[in-house]
Amino acid sequence: MTGPAVPFREIVLKVHSRCDLACDHCYVYEHADQSWRTRPKTISDHVIARTAQRLAEHAKTHALPSVSVILHGGEPLLAGPSRLRRVCEEFGSALSGIAALDLRIHTNGLQLSPRYLDLFDEFDVRVGISLDGDRTANDRHRRFADGRSSHPLVLKAVELLRQDRYRHLDLGILCTVDIANDPHAVLDALVALDPPLIDFLLPHATWDEPPPRPDGSPTAYAEWLLAVFDRWQEEGRPVPVRLFSSVLSTLGGGPSLTESLGLAPTDLVVVETDGRLEQVDSLKSAYEGAAATGFDVFSHSFDDVAAHPGIRARQLGLAGVSETCRRCPVVRSCGGGLYTHRYSPANGFDNPSVYCADLEALVRGIQARTSAAGVSPSVADRDELVAEQHDLTRTLLAGLHDALDGRGGARWDEAWGLAGVLESCEEGAAGLDRVLAHPYTRTWLLDVMEGLHAERPEAVGHALRLASYVAAAAVRSGLDMEVAADYRDGRLFLPTVGELRLAEPGEAGRVRVRAAGEGFSVRREGEGERIVRRGAGSPDWLPVRHFTAGSAPGFALDDLDPYRDCFESPAAPRLGPTDAEAWAGAVGRAWELVEQAAPRQAADAATTLTTLTPLVTGRSARRPHGYGTVGLVMTGDTRKLARALLRGLRRAGLRALLDVTDLYALDGAWEYRLPWGRNAKVPFSGLLAETYERVGLSFLDPEFMDGVPEALDMMEGAAEPTAGGMRLLSSLRDEVGGVHGTSGMNTLMNAVGHELVR
Amino acid sequence: MKTYESTPNFAVAKRRVPLAKIDASGSAAARRMGRVLATADSRPTQISTFNSSL
Repeated sequence: MTGPAVPFREIVLKVHSRCDLACDHCYVYEHADQSWRTRPKTISDHVIARTAQRLAEHAKTHALPSVSVILHGGEPLLAGPSRLRRVCEEFGSALSGIAALDLRIHTNGLQLSPRYLDLFDEFDVRVGISLDGDRTANDRHRRFADGRSSHPLVLKAVELLRQDRYRHLDLGILCTVDIANDPHAVLDALVALDPPLIDFLLPHATWDEPPPRPDGSPTAYAEWLLAVFDRWQEEGRPVPVRLFSSVLSTLGGGPSLTESLGLAPTDLVVVETDGRLEQVDSLKSAYEGAAATGFDVFSHSFDDVAAHPGIRARQLGLAGVSETCRRCPVVRSCGGGLYTHRYSPANGFDNPSVYCADLEALVRGIQARTSAAGVSPSVADRDELVAEQHDLTRTLLAGLHDALDGRGGARWDEAWGLAGVLESCEEGAAGLDRVLAHPYTRTWLLDVMEGLHAERPEAVGHALRLASYVAAAAVRSGLDMEVAADYRDGRLFLPTVGELRLAEPGEAGRVRVRAAGEGFSVRREGEGERIVRRGAGSPDWLPVRHFTAGSAPGFALDDLDPYRDCFESPAAPRLGPTDAEAWAGAVGRAWELVEQAAPRQAADAATTLTTLTPLVTGRSARRPHGYGTVGLVMTGDTRKLARALLRGLRRAGLRALLDVTDLYALDGAWEYRLPWGRNAKVPFSGLLAETYERVGLSFLDPEFMDGVPEALDMMEGAAEPTAGGMRLLSSLRDEVGGVHGTSGMNTLMNAVGHELVR
Repeated sequence: MKTYESTPNFAVAKRRVPLAKIDASGSAAARRMGRVLATADSRPTQISTFNSSL
């Protein structure tokens, strides 16, 4: 295997290997590795140039949009302004036209002066400062060699950085935890400095050199951090805290934000002052030479160093943590902790973190404190889900506009502009909403965006269908607005409205469409105006038909939309009038059965389902669509059709949730055996989908409940569900308990037997 | 069977941001679109994850 699993996007460049402080907790000088003693003090021109060249080559090879270069030490400011200027110039020049360059420096702040900050302003180098909290806390470790306090000088540096002229360069404050400090005093002192970001670091420790635990508590560090968290919450989260943001992000299904937590592959490498390439330098806490790779920028590319087992181990995600961690549900957030903290002389790094109990308590503590707030309202509220779905479609349309970046030409601009005009008044906005909320509009948008991404030549042409959507919205709104739309293969298709045959098959062109009375007018160049009444079908005009079923308000029978073929069976061609009536009648009977057996599901569906599409038997590839449609293969068996309807509703409902919120993360990392008799193993997503479907179907056929309680138990004990996922599992339990409890089951059995007693 | 809807069943969105003002290039939009677009890149660019710096 060549090249990294994940390319490096962060380079830690050691520009100076000595420091003007003598912090007794520093991993560079005070821990196991003493390699700093043999390094050049300052990075040379040669190392700078070669590293910049290697990084540019790496960014080009992997088409990276941006790379971060973190100037570090020792104390990087000791390299002096001219050396740092050289670094900025070399990297700026090497990366120019290849990738955006994100330059950062992390300093103790003692030397920070306008001389440095003017340089950083010139090259947009952003600055982070180390400070361990209030004076007492800071001076516990961060002192000069002669024991003097560094606190006043660091505060001076922070104040300088906060000045208006430099504030844009401020990255924030890094604070190393010492549980002897007062957590509230530490947070208050840091917040008082108004930094844009804070992070708390656990002091480096290993199983060989465990962290101090003065009161013996195995979770002393979690307790300290949770005290900070509670204070931070009480104060309204005045400053982002990277550690907390990372846990909240992973609990919600997002990425980790620091290498110390989460399972995201590490994408950083360290370049020492002598050009040697090393793993993260915190490994120096583990043992002499722990960070070394044997590679250097003179002889090796960044892809070469990626092959080093230590680097690769931290790119393996779940496979890179210990067996104990792989079985732990918290691993998705803690990721086994910082690699360094896993070290023991006996097992190397194949251990949980020496902070394992702390990390678990921290993650669970934050989860318990925020679980309600971390759940999207769409999980519990159908109206919210509909609104979120609609927002998503509109965001995708705006995203398509950006992605086209002018390639749609005047025709796109005209349609886009008219969409804006339409939504500026209530009737137009309602018409546009109706068309954009149509489930197959989403299919069109995704098809076009993926086509553009894959550089398919027809994608821009398909994007220009926007004019048809806008024309349909204008017709629906009844506004006096003319929209130019394309007809293809002799037909003009207006989504949600119908299809007009205008010319011979194979012919294409443009027409002008305008709302007119109870329909619309169409005018082709050089021809007269043609009036179409929406309600009156004819051989040339095929309207989208609607029907009612049970007590539902009505559905569109969409057998026209060119993007409707997104189910596991192929879409049926346009149904003739007799077939359409029969289809609607059969669906109506199935709907009534669902209303009897599963009244709550039917009531939910009545407010969210807008569209039903006839399918024919056979296999087809499923494609994504928006919320509100189900495809059904015709059958005269009402019970079978009701089951298909219920199954379609459950699938559409879960899919719609997954489109707008993260219900689980790291899907596929673990496998689960399905409890309902088959020997198949599935990822979490498969288990959830089948369980969700079976709970719905069990209202019609109770045997679908077999294995569901076991599946729910499995999922609730799993690592994958987010706060939203846990909320969904809880509502599934309620659904099961509410209907399949003693009294509920009686209702169910009677409903299925068509003998409603209540 | 009807061929014309008498009462459209979709209400006007409550929290409308005009199409032209939707920020589709920001990280929030990227994450939203990333859930349905197979081609989206999930790793936010220009964040530093290095433990010993911000």
